Amino acid sequence: MSDTCVISTTNLNLWYHEKHALEAVTMKIPKNRVTALIGPSGCGKSTLLRCFNRLNDLIDHVKITGEIMLDDENIHAPDTDVVHLRKRVGMVFQKPNPFPKSIYENIAYGPRVHGVTDKAGLDKVVEQSLRHAAIWDEVKDRLGDSALGLSGGQQQRLCIARTLAVNPEVILMDEPCSALDPIATAKIENLMDRLKTEYTVIIVTHSMQQAARVSDYTGFMYLGKLIECGRTKEIFEHPREELTENYITGRFG
Amino acid sequence: MAEKFHAELKNLKKDTVAMAGLGRSMLRTAVDALIRQDKEMAASVVAQKDEIHRMEVEIEEHCYQLIALNQPMAKDMRVIACTLKVITASMRIGRYGKVIANIVREISDKPHIANMMSIPHMADLVIDMVDDAVLAYDKDDISIIRDFSVRDDTIDALRHSIFREGITYMMEDPKNISRCTHYIMAARYLERCADHSCKIAENVHYMHTGERIEIH
Repeated sequence: MSDTCVISTTNLNLWYHEKHALEAVTMKIPKNRVTALIGPSGCGKSTLLRCFNRLNDLIDHVKITGEIMLDDENIHAPDTDVVHLRKRVGMVFQKPNPFPKSIYENIAYGPRVHGVTDKAGLDKVVEQSLRHAAIWDEVKDRLGDSALGLSGGQQQRLCIARTLAVNPEVILMDEPCSALDPIATAKIENLMDRLKTEYTVIIVTHSMQQAARVSDYTGFMYLGKLIECGRTKEIFEHPREELTENYITGRFG
Repeated sequence: MAEKFHAELKNLKKDTVAMAGLGRSMLRTAVDALIRQDKEMAASVVAQKDEIHRMEVEIEEHCYQLIALNQPMAKDMRVIACTLKVITASMRIGRYGKVIANIVREISDKPHIANMMSIPHMADLVIDMVDDAVLAYDKDDISIIRDFSVRDDTIDALRHSIFREGITYMMEDPKNISRCTHYIMAARYLERCADHSCKIAENVHYMHTGERIEIH
């Protein structure tokens, strides 16, 4: 990979109790690119994604060995501020999960936690984030309405805007379109393409066609191992590993 | 669904091998008709042009349908991409058969000059190349096409030799000009068929490995 790397893992292992869920994963995530993680259910792709902002810390009996570097910082170093880490590495989940508050408050919540308190400053962040997430035109006249009244696709873009509001470097997306219809999916995919000019995006998806459409790099995982990682067009045109070939041509999984 | 798709891919290859077989048979029959100066045999080749065209359109449509409905990837995608090239090359080979068959009408009234020089030998070599390229496609085996570059050089050398030899007969007697010109053209068509077999071989290599090669 010739692109600059923003996250790198070295020999990363993770156990849930006795279950060895990630085995010696070593990979680099290039900056300002979309990287997709694909693989059959239970292969560890979501677990790997959740390692990048230490969400697995919230689960009992998880043991992690190996190293994850965000730029030059080891995210498992004792002095790492996890709240700050999750500001730098934001996350969007499978099911849209807006707060039961107004559209405005959903976006303003994060910046407020991180110290932005003046109204003008918050207004600016809200507008900018909603614009970046390509939903501003749809909600600008009803910012005071409940976010729960939005459609599923709009809620998901709102959640992306909420992530953008704290100005992250990396955005993690765990199956962000699986609860959405094809039109809402297309909007999120277009958005990903635009977002990568300013952010690094890592997406977990069960849809290989989606990975092929949206990503610059793809990692294929199987039973906790990263089998192959490389440029998307190479992975989908002529993968090096037979296992990858068999998975993407539908011979298993 | 993947199983159904892979069964369809197998059928696609089977149909393609059948079409390539027709193209090859048109070329073989045309050369035999030329050697024997058999106008009826030549006419049977010309009559097959509609059939090979029908097969090409049918296979091409099947390819597009498989792409649209299954979004194939990796080897599956490469098999379809290769198939589209194989049918184009096979169509051309069949059409060169038809063009050679048309020559029979022109020159079947008088005996051959110099036993048609090396044309029968050249035709055997070219048809072997077509057979091997299609066999490599069918069996997904690139060891069959490894020597294609050398074999193509031999065909080029034969075409050049037929050209020079034909010129000498023309210089000896201007009455030979028309007949020898047809021989030289037939050699040119055979050489083009060898080039098409090389194109098939290049695409079979891509289908098998994902890497491009060029056979000169």
